[in-house]
Amino acid sequence: MEESKKLALLEEAFEMEEGELKADMELDGIDDYNSMAKLALIVMMNDECGKQLTNEQIKGFNKVQDILDYMG
Amino acid sequence: MIRSAFENIRIAGIAAAVPKNREILSERYNDLFGEESVRAFSKTTGVLERRVAKEEQTASDLAYVSAKHVIRENSVDKEKIGICIFISQTPDYRFPSTACVLHRRLELPKDCIAFDVNLGCSGYVYGIQIISSLLQSTNCRYGLLLAGDTLNKVISPQDKSSCMLFGDSGCATLFEKADRPTAIATAYRTDGRGFQAIITPSGGYRNPNGSHERVKWADGNERSDYELYMNGVEVFSFTISEVPAMINEFMEDSRIGRDSFDAYVLHQANCYILNQVAKRSRLPKDKLPISMDRYGNTSVTSIPLTLCDRYGALNEDGEKRILSCGFGVGLSWGIAAFTVNQKEILPIVETDDFFKEGAVSHD
Repeated sequence: MEESKKLALLEEAFEMEEGELKADMELDGIDDYNSMAKLALIVMMNDECGKQLTNEQIKGFNKVQDILDYMG
Repeated sequence: MIRSAFENIRIAGIAAAVPKNREILSERYNDLFGEESVRAFSKTTGVLERRVAKEEQTASDLAYVSAKHVIRENSVDKEKIGICIFISQTPDYRFPSTACVLHRRLELPKDCIAFDVNLGCSGYVYGIQIISSLLQSTNCRYGLLLAGDTLNKVISPQDKSSCMLFGDSGCATLFEKADRPTAIATAYRTDGRGFQAIITPSGGYRNPNGSHERVKWADGNERSDYELYMNGVEVFSFTISEVPAMINEFMEDSRIGRDSFDAYVLHQANCYILNQVAKRSRLPKDKLPISMDRYGNTSVTSIPLTLCDRYGALNEDGEKRILSCGFGVGLSWGIAAFTVNQKEILPIVETDDFFKEGAVSHD
């Protein structure tokens, strides 16, 4: 999957505006990355990438790039 | 998965009770957490209001009222009730089993098996297996499955993740040996690796000196060691993968079409979770009754309470084929498919009654 497509999926999951999310952003600094966004991330990862995501894996993500890498 | 089937047991009556005290989230919490925050919570979870028990009213009080209701409506000879099981995470005492207290209050015969089971959201479907097995292998005619939780008593008011979610309630289901073929089919799984996902760490004997002081936990919420903790993300992740997998496996194993059931009664965890489970299990949305908008997540009672909410007012004959599915604390999950006549599902009772003789006595 192209990076732009992956970023668009993440923006949708986090209810952010198009183009707002950058790969090098720290997740801790993103206001919209709340508990609801994490649930949406689990759903998106399952639906779009066919991958399970555990709480421990989510805790291990520091930057947006970490999620993009996991999406494959 | 562990499967079982019973062909000679029927559900003869279902009753549920809630406290009279109705708490509307926006009225109670807007000033505390902010209107926007409460609205977002209600939008995600689907909970708009719930019932909260008074300090002196326990889960067993709500189960007791339900039991009286179901025994009276069925004109049951109590001497023939040989099994009394109470499922709860909020029992009356550390010991004895609350089932024994209910045995006395309901004036059940001495020829009776009575014990408690400590389970939450999966408890009702587990109870169906336990009571059906016991009925099948014993010489008694009736079994009473009692259950209830008053989780609001063990939740920190500063815990935004849980303090608006749960509703207090109790229920009673009467099982009877049937004189014609029935079909109760069940399936179960457990994953104890998730035992800390929903936990009250103190209050038992593992951490006898836990702190009663509320401190901030890693999730940003303040609670004491004697109050409920729920890792929402972990529970969600478990639910949307394991629960649909089990439902799909159960349907394939049983060679049943999704149109064979009149209702899919899922544990009322929260709306977002239910929608995800329904989508992944390909369940028709119009057959998915919801009670948590008015009663919250009612833990072990959510399946019978939802049935009473959906069918309780329909006082005419009508066999309903139900697939129920409970999942949560343990982690533990299961399915029970059964047939029940909608006429035998009673309307929800409101009560503030409690067992006055249950208070501490130093005599």
